[in-house]
Amino acid sequence: LEATPIELGGSRDGPVGLRRSTIGRLPWGEALKLEHVLLAVISLFLLAVCVWPLTRLLLEGVAPNGTFDLSRAAEVLSSRSTWTATRRSLEASLVGALGALALGGLFAFLIALTDLRAKSALVFCFMIPMLIPPQVTALAWVQLLGPSSPLLLALGIQPPPGSANPLYSAGGVMGLLAIQHAPLAFLVLRASFRALPRELIEAARAAGSRPLGVARSIAAPLVAPALVAALALAFVSALGNFGIPAVLGIPASYTVLPILIYRRLASFGPSVIADVAVLSLIVAFIGIAVVLAQTAAARRFEARMPRRPGAALALPLGPARLAIEIAAWGVILLVLVLPLTALVAGALVSAYGVPLSPATATLANFEEVLLRQDATRRAFVNSAMLSGAAALLLAALAIPMGYFVVWRRSAPARALETLADIPYALPGVVLAIAMILVFLKPLPIVGISLYGTLWIIFAAYLGRFFALALRPVIAGFRAIDPTIEEAAQVAGARFGTRLRTVTAPLLAPVAAAGAILVFVTAFNELTVSALLWSAGHETLGVIMFNLDDSGFAPLASAVAVVSVAVILVLMLTAQLLARHLPPGVLPWAGERG
Amino acid sequence: MRRLAFALAGLLALAAPALAQTTLTLYTSQPQQDAQQTVDAFMAKHPDVKVTWLRDGTTQILAKLRAEVAAGDPRPDLLLLADVVTFEGLKKQGLLLPHPAADVAAYDKSLHDPEKTYFSTKLITTGIAYNAKAGTKPASWSDLVKPEFKGQVSMPSPLTSGAALIHLAALTEKPEFGWAFFEKLAQNNVRPQGGNGQVLKAVAGGEKLYGVIVDYMPIREKAKGAPVDFAFPAEGVTAVTEPVAVMKTSKNPDAAKRFVDFLLSREGQELASRQGYLPMHPDVAPPAGFPRVSDIKIMAYDPARALAEEETLKKRFAEIFGE
Repeated sequence: LEATPIELGGSRDGPVGLRRSTIGRLPWGEALKLEHVLLAVISLFLLAVCVWPLTRLLLEGVAPNGTFDLSRAAEVLSSRSTWTATRRSLEASLVGALGALALGGLFAFLIALTDLRAKSALVFCFMIPMLIPPQVTALAWVQLLGPSSPLLLALGIQPPPGSANPLYSAGGVMGLLAIQHAPLAFLVLRASFRALPRELIEAARAAGSRPLGVARSIAAPLVAPALVAALALAFVSALGNFGIPAVLGIPASYTVLPILIYRRLASFGPSVIADVAVLSLIVAFIGIAVVLAQTAAARRFEARMPRRPGAALALPLGPARLAIEIAAWGVILLVLVLPLTALVAGALVSAYGVPLSPATATLANFEEVLLRQDATRRAFVNSAMLSGAAALLLAALAIPMGYFVVWRRSAPARALETLADIPYALPGVVLAIAMILVFLKPLPIVGISLYGTLWIIFAAYLGRFFALALRPVIAGFRAIDPTIEEAAQVAGARFGTRLRTVTAPLLAPVAAAGAILVFVTAFNELTVSALLWSAGHETLGVIMFNLDDSGFAPLASAVAVVSVAVILVLMLTAQLLARHLPPGVLPWAGERG
Repeated sequence: MRRLAFALAGLLALAAPALAQTTLTLYTSQPQQDAQQTVDAFMAKHPDVKVTWLRDGTTQILAKLRAEVAAGDPRPDLLLLADVVTFEGLKKQGLLLPHPAADVAAYDKSLHDPEKTYFSTKLITTGIAYNAKAGTKPASWSDLVKPEFKGQVSMPSPLTSGAALIHLAALTEKPEFGWAFFEKLAQNNVRPQGGNGQVLKAVAGGEKLYGVIVDYMPIREKAKGAPVDFAFPAEGVTAVTEPVAVMKTSKNPDAAKRFVDFLLSREGQELASRQGYLPMHPDVAPPAGFPRVSDIKIMAYDPARALAEEETLKKRFAEIFGE
């Protein structure tokens, strides 16, 4: 499939005519070479970490044992538990995503468009739940609301002994999914609110439009793609969330698809791999359908924001400001401070169920996980290495990829973009199975098996989180007018030079944002590593889940507290550096006031 | 390359035994803390051996092991898992290495495999834990299906826990219980959740007042101040023996056998007792909080049937409890 220079170089808004007239003077030969090499590298990368494993899994679904056989698939599809879990996955993800959109949207509006005070601190606190592993969020909330809640005990309003924890329910799963994914929706919407053209809105206001009229006729069409994108992102993340339904759903027998897959596989072993392959294909279809719908919607809405919007709007809240500020901080207290306090309390008691008091408080749990157990210390190092390396590599790949997709509108790159979304849409358990299928046997040529090493987890992270690194970069390319790169091209700069000196610096902030998203997500990740870890190659998520699972809630809480502390320290360190970074690099920084 | 590495390692072993490290990999269903202590105690005694370990539910470990065996590359040298049935299965598949020199003279003959492929290391019974705030102290298994216990009983799932599988096998074998007992439990709103650790959490946290659970967890937590206690029901308890075995594929079978010897030694048994487990060795005293082993009534079961019907047992259980 040979791309013509026009297809490679033309953007819809770009000066195609001008370009055509300059083709003769440009070093196309060399440019094409480097571009082809880059595109080939990206293709090979996605082939190795996405297409190959998932194709292998698909084959396992329709042709277990290598022969075409749909009877297993038919059996799974006719089972009642399959459809119960599917319905629950859909409803939990949808309600969770809508909740995330409402909460994230409200905060994005307040932060981006109003004259609220102390925005930096508010954003910083609002982002933290995203960085806390889902299973830790669940653990913290369970300790907060159970009959032995240290907080409720102190207030004397604890539920009577023997009453079920209200979180062990469908509502508990949905509520925590909303809180967990609200920062994702917030990030997408804040960027969009900020980019609203102040000049246009002020002009409309000056011309006599009412605020609602402005919102409907100017703001709504510009924000609509971001709303859809935020909803889709939150939905797909919630669909694949494992920690929350694992901790809250299992005791309530509220089984969503990822949990059904995990439990079947963990309990019956690889003999049911064909069955779980079919189950995972259902999730795959849901995820792909949502991603496709979002892409189609975005194309319909597509409207370019000005390249460099002026100062963001600052709507005056007037006399209601203090009340709104108190309400906003009340939300932070509820979704962040209280559960974290319960978590810390849970890490300080000698045994689960003991009320916290000066007499029962102990640091023994921290001593055990930090000083005595090698596995926990190793897990911190492993998770940091895996997620750090994945973040850097994926951000570096995302820039050329986004360039081909948006500015070059390259058809193969667009196909690759859709592919890159698939492993992220699938629950991590599915990608883990796919990885086991392809990497268990020794690799051809080198003769080494990745199974039982950190590399298989790394490969899975690369496949799974590319979409996370790519999305902000794609959005960044969409928001930046390509004429600047075209100007460099007209001035005779070669592709490599342009990529290095023009494109990459322009996109560095969004690429960094993508890298940070990858790091914090991978650092907390449990779903993939739950099936891929091996002795000596534990991740933080696995260690925490395992400790909690074997009844050591205080030890699990201690690991959780330390990991949250590490994340907070990282965030604060980055915050100190924020003034030296371009705006937009840190999702939680860059606020005025 | 690998051969060269082995040769170098061999040379080092000859030249400086203190520097040479043999590595063993242990797959175990022991809780982390106990696994770490056991491994640390062994390594303190055998500084030339380094043990890395992996902990998960017995069922999950077996799933992992099966995948590795299918790929022709089983990783562990040693297995330390919940029950005899598991090891009977592994032995039938020819995965275990006999250790004829193991010293089991002090032990009851019936406790170990006569062909010496696996060895019971401790006694773990399954009884009933209850929260300190519970109104009634449970005295019998049949209490759990009474109306006043409705919605208040937590239970581990045999889909995760090896001990729970043996418990299921033993009770379904008895005419006074049978599957009817489990159907009644389901009607009494019992929802099995994961392994024993989850049961402990539910009972200690006060979300459920009663729980079917292995003995050492509530007894040990009670000593730490948790509001739980453990009852041995009148009909008797079921029990597993947490056997240890060397894999036939072990690259360091001699070091692995030393690990087995350590667990069976008086020292190893005293460690188990300190950790809060009932030791197997008749001369080692049980930990505080336990009755004498001779006072514990253990329900017998047929391991051969449990092995043959494992899948059926699990599937039927899953059907009854809607898992």
